[in-house]
This record gives sequence, structure tokens and C-alpha cells, in this order.
Amino acid sequence: MTELKELLSRILNIDAESINDESSPENIDSWDSFNGLMLVSELENNFNVKFTMEEVLAVKKVSDIKNALKAHGIKEGI
Amino acid sequence: MKLMEYINQSKALIKTSSMKKCRIAFLSNFTINGLAEVMKVLCNKGGVSIETYVSNYNQYAQEILNKNSKLYEFNSDITFLIIDSEHLLGDFIHFPYRFDTEEREKYIKQKFSDFENLLMILKEHTSAKIVVNELLLPIYSDRGILENKESFGLKESIKKFNEMLYLISKKDSQLFIFNFNDLVLKKGYEFMCDNKMKYLADMKISPKGIVELGKEYMAYIFPLTSNSKKCLVLDLDDTLWGGVIGEEGIEGISLGPEKQGQAFLDFQKKILGLSERGIILAINSKNNYDDAMEVITKHKHMVLRKEHFACIKANWNDKASNIKEISNELNIGLDSMVFIDNDWGNCQFVQEVFPEVMVIPLPKDPSEYIKIIEDLKVFNIFGLTQEDLKRRGMYTNQRERNELKSQVQDLDSFLKQLQIKVIIKRVSKLEKARAAQMTQKTNQFNLTTKRYLEEDIEKFAKSQNSLIKFIQVEDKFGNHGITGLFIVNKYQDVWEIDSFLLSCRILGKNIEFAFMQNLIDEAKKQGIKKLKGIFIPSKKNIPAKNFLKECGFKFEKEEEGKEHYLLDVGKEKKREIFVEVEE
Repeated sequence: MTELKELLSRILNIDAESINDESSPENIDSWDSFNGLMLVSELENNFNVKFTMEEVLAVKKVSDIKNALKAHGIKEGI
Repeated sequence: MKLMEYINQSKALIKTSSMKKCRIAFLSNFTINGLAEVMKVLCNKGGVSIETYVSNYNQYAQEILNKNSKLYEFNSDITFLIIDSEHLLGDFIHFPYRFDTEEREKYIKQKFSDFENLLMILKEHTSAKIVVNELLLPIYSDRGILENKESFGLKESIKKFNEMLYLISKKDSQLFIFNFNDLVLKKGYEFMCDNKMKYLADMKISPKGIVELGKEYMAYIFPLTSNSKKCLVLDLDDTLWGGVIGEEGIEGISLGPEKQGQAFLDFQKKILGLSERGIILAINSKNNYDDAMEVITKHKHMVLRKEHFACIKANWNDKASNIKEISNELNIGLDSMVFIDNDWGNCQFVQEVFPEVMVIPLPKDPSEYIKIIEDLKVFNIFGLTQEDLKRRGMYTNQRERNELKSQVQDLDSFLKQLQIKVIIKRVSKLEKARAAQMTQKTNQFNLTTKRYLEEDIEKFAKSQNSLIKFIQVEDKFGNHGITGLFIVNKYQDVWEIDSFLLSCRILGKNIEFAFMQNLIDEAKKQGIKKLKGIFIPSKKNIPAKNFLKECGFKFEKEEEGKEHYLLDVGKEKKREIFVEVEE
């Protein structure tokens, strides 16, 4: 299992150190709607969860991803 | 590798000037983001640098219909068309049984005819190869277990649509249908389609599916860029059979209809299949020659026999030297070879010495061997010719010819004994596929290395301003088939040789001179005094470098890397040719 930050860094092609809870499509250029969906697909594979469409659409920033993962019972790697 | 990794990698590809180039257009009615990037990365690995064009979201029909569209401006070499059934057939997909049988049949035929018209318009405006993704077969029907009892039921209707697609592509060298359902069968429906991605992003093929689709589409890129492989070089121990013959003996190796032996049997059958469609086989193994030959000639379950191999190197030399020798003996470039070995060390060594050879290490478990063959896309070609199907026999004959050559000391008496006959004729409909293929595949004895498609060949054949002839060669050991081609552009007082090429396996028998003499005689007949020849040096056409001079052409000048030559017709070099020419 890959850590969330590492996954974000790989998919969005940005430095892991620059990622924080407030990171979002607003402040990361490479986070467009398509990459956002790739991210969903990778998160699902990596943490072995399935998000609902509503959960996907509710994600506005990194802290939302963390909350969604927590809601699926994920405690480690986030 | 995942789709996102392809996308990221595609941004940092290194292009070199020696890379082949190719322009690819994608037309779709849904989101296929990432497909172009996957192909960019895969092509780059294969030495091809591509430019891509993706149609605007759901604008494919407008782009096809408008002859000034960006699609046509882009001028692709190949165009992929990926349309989904819901888009083409509308609510029929959901409620087919609102119509009765006859209405359903009529509806499907009407929809097909509309789609066919669109394809014909596309064909009219482009000379690119066109690849149509067949429609995905539905896995659900509200009729449940009764579904397949209906004529023109939901699934049958889509199947019929696909069958009609195959039908129009059968006699069309420009149009290809990609069996998308085979890929879905292989990877699974749920792997290829992800409803969440469909609803949120209109991605009707999942991100994982897009990656697999890109890999499959590579099968069209190899022949398009003349990168197809011609020869499969194989190891023996633990590759064609289980165990080591030198240690375990013919009784001890594993090959035959029991457990492990079956895996090797099936692997050999897959390889024999390739041989029968024209792929040349060779052996490169570390064995005592006699041990290896004992299995090949005597083992009762051996599928591949001596006659299937054009060249057998079973010795203790290193495998890179052997590969080089195979390449020399068969006159096949190293970059046209695939080498398969179970020993990863050998593989690595050959790869380091000859990066241009495609090296494939076998997996540990023989049950996975056949998948290696099934996944190879590099042998694909755009059309099979009689020559492809006869090739194995030709190479076996070649071995016998070489044996004769070593008995006869003097070249002239050798050539006399061969009783060579050639037929030289204008290219007609029958030969145009083979003619195009030769321009695509002949690298060594080729003066200009110009590549042509069937459509181009047809233009040359029809035009008053050009002459295009092929040569067919036969000797006492067998028929070589059509192995050479020239194209001449006719100007008022001078003819210019646009292309002149011959397969390397017939060189060294003065056939090339007989072929040139025919060209010169033709010019003479039509009162032409000057013949212009051009040699464009490439990495590979050194065998043709001195040919024009040897025929009596005078070097004129070198311009932009091209060597220009001129011949005063009548002053060509005459030589004794032991070749019987039929026109």
C-alpha cells in the first residue's frame, strides 16, 4: 500500500512535501477534473475501497479525501 | 503500468532523429483521455515518435463530414474510430423488443448503412489506414435466458452489425476492424468498463481498459512504420522442451502429452503457426549440435522439425555472435529479429550487445509460455501474400542451395547449374499488395527506400507517366516468388528510377543485373537516351551502394544526401547473365 501523499505526488506529478490538507484543484495546476478521477480510481485500488459518486463529487481538497477514506474505515497510510 | 504513469511519462519522452515518425488520429464519441499518451510511450519504446490528434468531444461525425476539418488538416497516417453502441443505436439498446423481428432487422441494417456512409466519406478524404473499434457486445438482456431465442435479438443485432463491418473490410486494404470484444473477453467486462467513470466522466472504457486498448492498437503501428519483425530466434533447452538434453538425454526431457510436456507441445504449435504464416524460424542454443539434432529429428513429440528452421546454431559460441551469424546468413536485419530464451543472463547479454534485437526472456513457469506468443504484436502485417505463405519452403531451399554452392567452386558454373528463370512483368491488380509490401519491408538492396501503400502502387500502375514492374524468380530448387520491384518516372527525354529493390535472398546470382537490363531495354524501345538513377544512403542499404556504378551509370553529383547518377542508354555494362528472362 502506498501512502496517500506519495500517491498524490505520483498522480499529480508534484513534490510530496508540497502537499497539505488544503491542497486542492485551486492551488495545484495538474489537478484537473480528469486527473481527479484518475486519483479516485487509484485511491480505490490502493486502499481497496469503493467510493460512491456522491463521495467523489464532494472532494474539494486533500482533507476531504482523508475524511472519505476514514469514513471507509481506513486508518493507516493517510 | 497505470494510465496516470503513462500520461506522466509521455510528457518527458526523448525523441531522436533516427526515430520513425507516425501521425495518429483518434475519433470517438466519448472520453478516451490517456489513449494518445499510452501510445506515445509505447511507440517511443519501439523507436517511433508519434504526433497525435484527438477529435473534439463528440465531434467525430462533423469532422468526418467537413472536408476542411482539423482532422483532415492533421493528415494522419492512421485513424482510430471508437464509437459506442448506445450512441449509434440509441434506445434500441435498452428496449429492442418494442420492435418486432422484422423492424429490428430493418433498424440495424439502416443504422449500419448510415455508419458505412460515414466511413466511405472518411475514406474519400484520407489515405490513412482506418481502424474501427467493433461495437461492444452487451452482457445483459431483460429477456434473460430467452434472449438468444429471438432473431435479431439485442445481442444478435450487435453481432450482425459487427459482422457487416467485417464484411466491408474484407476486400478493403485501407479499412481494418479491431476485435474489441476479444480484448473484453481476455481482460473481463468489469475490468474494461467502469460505470462510475462512465457517469462521472463519460469514459466508456475504464482507465485500466484504455491502457490495454493502447497496447492492442500497437499491432497496427508496427506494420505502418515498417517495424514488423520477420524472424523468431529460439533457444532449445527449457524453451522448446523441458530439461537439458545434454544432461537428461532424449528420454529424459519433458515434451509430449503429459503434464509439463504439454506446455512445451503447445508452445511449439503456436510457433509452428507463426512459421506457416511466413515468420522465419531459427535456433540459437548452447548445446552439442548432435544432441540438439537428435531431439529435432528423432523425438516423437517434437512439433518443430529441421525443415521448419532456416538456420540452426546449436554450439558453444556466445549467443550474441550466433545471432549476428544468423542475421548474416539469412540476410535479415537484427532489428527484424525476436529472440526468445528462458535464460535471463543470455537475454541480457544479447540485448546489451544488440539493442536493436527484440529480446524476450521467458517466464519461469512453462504454462505461461504460450501467452508470450499470444501477446506479441510485432509480427503483424497489413496483408498476407502468397510469398508470406510460401516463405518457409523458400528458406529451406536456400539451405540446400548453399550446400550446392559449397560443392561448386566457380560462380559461373554454379549459376548455370541453378537454372534460374525470371519473369519480369508490369504490376497488375494481382501483385499490388505484394509490391507495396516489398517497398515497406525491403531495407538492404533498395536504392531509395521509398515506402508505398497499395493505393500508391495502384496510382503508379495506372499512370501513363510511370512504369512499375516486378520480378519473379525460380530456380531448380524452387520458386522464390515475387522478390523485386522497380518504379520509373517518365519525363519527356529522360526516365528517372524512383525505386529499385530486390529481396536479399536472391542477390549474388546476377538477377539484379537482368532486372536492370530489362529496365534499360524498355527505355531503349521508347527512344529514351538518358536514364537517371538516385541512391539515397540509409543505415541499411549498403548492399545497393555500388549497384548503379556496376551497371555503368556515371556519378553526377551529391545533393542533400542523395547521390545522383546518369546513364547514356546503350552504354550500359554488358555482362554474361545466366538467367532466362520471360516477359
